[in-house]
Amino acid sequence: MGSTISITGMGIICAIGNDAKAVYESLRNGQSGVRSMKYLSSKHSDLPVGEVQLSNDEMKALLGIDDARPMSRTSLMGAIAVRQALAQAGIKEVHGKKVVLISGTTVGRMDLTEQKFYAQKADGKLIEVPKCNECGESTHEIASLAGLGGIATCTVSTACSSALNSIILGAEMLKTGEADIVIAGGSEALSRYHLNGFNTLMILDARPCRPFDADRAGLNLGEGAAFVVLERDAERSLGYVAGYGNRCDAFHQTASSENGEGAYLAMEDALSMAGLRPEDIQYVNAHGTGTPNNDASESQAIMRVFGNSVPEVSSTKGFTGHTTSAAGSIETVICLLALQHGFTPANIGWESQTDGLIVPTRGHTDVSLENVMCNSFGFGGNDSSLVISRHEPEAGSRAFREMPVKVLAEESVVSVEELKALKEFVPPMESRRMGNLMKAVHLSAFRALKAAGISCPDAIVTATAHGMYETSMQFLEDIANNGEEMLKPTLFMLSTHNTIGSALAIRTGCHGYNMTYSHGEESEAWAMRDAERLIRTGKAGNVLVCAFDEDISGSSLHAKAVIMSGN
Amino acid sequence: MEELILDLKKQIIEALNLEEITPEDIDNDAPLFGEGLGLDSIDALEIIVILDKYYGIKLSNAAEGKTVFRSINSIAEYIAKHRTK
Repeated sequence: MGSTISITGMGIICAIGNDAKAVYESLRNGQSGVRSMKYLSSKHSDLPVGEVQLSNDEMKALLGIDDARPMSRTSLMGAIAVRQALAQAGIKEVHGKKVVLISGTTVGRMDLTEQKFYAQKADGKLIEVPKCNECGESTHEIASLAGLGGIATCTVSTACSSALNSIILGAEMLKTGEADIVIAGGSEALSRYHLNGFNTLMILDARPCRPFDADRAGLNLGEGAAFVVLERDAERSLGYVAGYGNRCDAFHQTASSENGEGAYLAMEDALSMAGLRPEDIQYVNAHGTGTPNNDASESQAIMRVFGNSVPEVSSTKGFTGHTTSAAGSIETVICLLALQHGFTPANIGWESQTDGLIVPTRGHTDVSLENVMCNSFGFGGNDSSLVISRHEPEAGSRAFREMPVKVLAEESVVSVEELKALKEFVPPMESRRMGNLMKAVHLSAFRALKAAGISCPDAIVTATAHGMYETSMQFLEDIANNGEEMLKPTLFMLSTHNTIGSALAIRTGCHGYNMTYSHGEESEAWAMRDAERLIRTGKAGNVLVCAFDEDISGSSLHAKAVIMSGN
Repeated sequence: MEELILDLKKQIIEALNLEEITPEDIDNDAPLFGEGLGLDSIDALEIIVILDKYYGIKLSNAAEGKTVFRSINSIAEYIAKHRTK
């Protein structure tokens, strides 16, 4: 079925403004939102951050919530952005239609969870085991606070590319007819947890970040939320979702490959789906975090795609900070503002050129933009790219085949005793950092791949309600016990929900689509649906689906691997 | 120096979860990264934490560690020179 996907509404809240108009004005005025820490409480208060300039009470007032209970900023910011997007799209009634809210997040409600946890640790008694990592809970709360209680919801958690992957999933669901209206994006509040995590990786700059600069020294964390309303064949549009791609760099959990393979493939896929040539793109909103590694790798990927005709490129993270899981939708909204107002945002912070890196734009006004690209990359090399067009693209004819999808192999691991068998597939030196859950998933996945006679799957989809629960708890403990100093980087590196999906891609060399769902008990159903969709739309011949979780009490775990195939 | 080297090896084995390796297995002069033990960038960050935690040495960035972390001997020499505890 051929159909065009329109963006009919957008909502945004971040360090440079609490709505699209304010964000646009800050971008035009070159006004950065990276400032001294004000709302987050951390020992590292010397690190500049991009905070939303509202207290939780002020956000509640904005939403008209009369509730004194503590709430997560992730939920509050998310609800604010969703409401703005719905208002602009003119959507008042959602009942009777297939409406889905898809949110991307990784730390979810950690800002709230960690406050309780540290307070209980300080009191010397842990009365409540923290349900950290329950991304789905924040999505339910956003839906409820935005007045969408009862609609279908989904949570994507692929670290810093989460929000862009939400938009990609939403577009796919509209194309296949699984949804009529999708509200897609992401939300992420700053937390002491991930500020310390990034700090252990030594990639936070104590000065305002300088993406693509010769002297760049890391990123500044930010927070925020943005959502867009997507509709099929709508009468009016802020822009069209013309093409997209998600690929895995399959290189390292926290570093990008030198030639930016995953990013290159994602951009190529996005262009190809849009039916555009590189020279048809007038502006690229780069991931551009400001770390030496990301910017070098992304520059290589951009130069590989665009050759000698690199369009205007900027990273807007000098304005917003790196809003992690929300970055993809925040920067999609920035791209929509650029299309709408005919300007390119500056790459603030940049001063000097260096070999091998692109030269970013200083920003222009009165430009006519037809097609723009938005890049968003996450830990584990989860690389996504989106092409948005001002005019309606030709409806692509896409084969959606009502074909049966077969299970080629299925394997489960539920006991720690079995894990010794992992040696057959992974040498001990290479499994040394894996916790039991990760080992169990690897064992089930490699047994299933072996049974199916597949060494490298076409795509990998994972599902987990609590993610890397044990690892995340250890890192929280580490913060509570060591006062935000001398923490273990390995724990943070292995704490994102897509850690296992990425590890499997690295081990099998799979550069294909890589997605992680973290939506409570529905996670596995979403993953299976995605695998079937990939096969029926011809995007993958076979898909490795892994569903896993460990009991919060630490007493049990389960890992299941399924190989799905169309033939 | 010998005592320092043994302590350092034990600290590295613990922090890096080198479960099946004993201090005797690690050659004092063999490269730690790439070849030899085959450690990576995250291991380098873990070693930076060891220097801070046990020896009061603060490295401000991972690039600084590149020459220091060449081998057990080079790390031990650096510690002997710069330790504050």
